[in-house]
Amino acid sequence: MAITDSAPPALAARDPERAERLRYRLYSLAIVAVIIAAWEIAPRAGLVSPIILPAFSQVAAALWSLVQTDFFLRHFSVTLTEILVGFVLGTAIGLMLGTALAVWPTAKRIAYPFVVGFQAIPKIVFAPLFIAWFGFGQSSKVVMAVVISFFPVLINTMVGLESVPDDARKLMRSLKATPMQTFRKVSLPHALPVIFAGVKAALTFAVIGAIVGEFVGASEGLGYLVELYNHQLRIDRVFAVVVVLAFIGAGGYFLLEWLDRKLIFWRSDDNR
Amino acid sequence: MTMTASIPMRGRGATPRPAGLGAPIVTAKGLSKTFKLGGSDVVALRDVDLEIRKGEFIAFVGPSGCGKSTFLNMVAGLLPASGGVAHVNGQPVTEPSRQVGFMFQTPVLLPWRTVEKNVLMPAEVFGLKEADIRDKARAVIDAVGLGAFVDAYPRQLSGGMQQRVALARVLTYEPDVLLMDEPFGALDEFTREAMNLELMRITQAAGITVLFVTHNITEAVFMSDRVVVMTPRPGKVSGIVDIDLERPRTIDTMQKQSFSDLIFKVRGILGNTHGDH
Ligand SMILES: Nc1ncnc2c1ncn2[C@@H]1O[C@H](COP(=O)(O)OP(=O)(O)OP(=O)(O)O)[C@@H](O)[C@H]1O
Ligand SMILES: [Mg+2]
Repeated sequence: MAITDSAPPALAARDPERAERLRYRLYSLAIVAVIIAAWEIAPRAGLVSPIILPAFSQVAAALWSLVQTDFFLRHFSVTLTEILVGFVLGTAIGLMLGTALAVWPTAKRIAYPFVVGFQAIPKIVFAPLFIAWFGFGQSSKVVMAVVISFFPVLINTMVGLESVPDDARKLMRSLKATPMQTFRKVSLPHALPVIFAGVKAALTFAVIGAIVGEFVGASEGLGYLVELYNHQLRIDRVFAVVVVLAFIGAGGYFLLEWLDRKLIFWRSDDNR
Repeated sequence: MTMTASIPMRGRGATPRPAGLGAPIVTAKGLSKTFKLGGSDVVALRDVDLEIRKGEFIAFVGPSGCGKSTFLNMVAGLLPASGGVAHVNGQPVTEPSRQVGFMFQTPVLLPWRTVEKNVLMPAEVFGLKEADIRDKARAVIDAVGLGAFVDAYPRQLSGGMQQRVALARVLTYEPDVLLMDEPFGALDEFTREAMNLELMRITQAAGITVLFVTHNITEAVFMSDRVVVMTPRPGKVSGIVDIDLERPRTIDTMQKQSFSDLIFKVRGILGNTHGDH
């Protein structure tokens, strides 16, 4: 009487899907091509001053010569370190605080108003303060990156852990599961997609934090370079550094995206 | 293909289950529940007395809000009673127990686990070794007709198949009592019928006592030994209908005059207590 005893649905047969993905990738590439073309033509045709927007080829040349210098690599690694340390610490702190607030109602009751209040502060105002507290070096930038990047992780961790469906909690209760078992087997995996969205945001924020910190006061790093070249009116180099920053951000983001897909394999494509 | 795979349950035979033969396994005495809602009290359940015998299949019907879920939750130990007491296997219910399995309207599967891993989840919670329970899990998955899907993920299954997984999950840990709160409410008519037959067959073979809440009177009469009709505000038992239809029951059972008569009888009690049925 079974109505179901056939082979599991094939997961292959995704060719149309693949073709579609390819098509959208082509669209994106086309848009990139158009932007680059406009960027090249506008300054050359005199539509904008090259002081304001140097042509794409000039920026590319500046980038090419920059990346071959040792001093650029030094500034690059300074900023990259600030971003990564800030991101990792911020994510870890966000995960811990978010989990604590989610699993411990008393903690939430006490701390949540402060969390919300803290969120309302534009954290960038702390940058001069952090320079005063932690000095001109990398640590003040790391602190800045941590302070603005932990927040999305905290909120998403808390919300994700709290959004476990009532029936799932009830099921675990009916099995007499310990809070730890419920957390590990149900809450955490359930929250993972939401947490990951927060982690991705944290990366972007860590980049912002490190650069803002360098703007406010630094003697090295990519943010410092942007300031320096801006003063020297070497706008092509300013853009070159911006491109590098974009690559750092995008590279990290795609790495996380890849990890996301690996880790949260059960998420169907239509609700990501 | 038929679901004849026998489920090796703890030594309970496939004895037919005429009501009144087994020993009482679930009892409620003066069971009451009052919820505090804002400042006022909502009496969800008042003085319910009930005695359910081992191996019995009991359905609960009644209008929305008459306390059916509340009753099941109290028997499951998920909700403390405000008055009275429920006993399972002679023990007063104070907390959830492995002897009592619960199944909801939604399958509540973990989407990151395969069918088999979902079915094995309770065993993990109980601290059993996977190797010891694996064969049992396979047998139950076969019995609910999902033998070919052990490695599938929930999103690859239809709603009915997901509910079968939920059934396999609860059957695998061999509860004495199975509490089901509108488990097939979200299924289409055909799937529901198939599930009714399978549920009857499996629980009867294993001698499991079932408390089954539903809004579907046909389903209630078809599967049960007794149908408990409840009334709302305050929720209480307004009548119990003995379903003396022969077992095993098949789709043909539904053609019988006695079947329609019983449905009428249940409807009658429902209709007496309030207007909208
Ligand atoms: N947690 C709660 N807090 C306050 N009132 C509640 C709570 N749970 C249930 N009630 C009330 O208790 C009464 C019975 O609810 P219950 O869920 O047991 O009804 P039900 O018979 O299962 O209804 P349905 O058929 O719609 O599932 C309802 O009036 C409901 O509003
Ligand atoms: Mg209910």
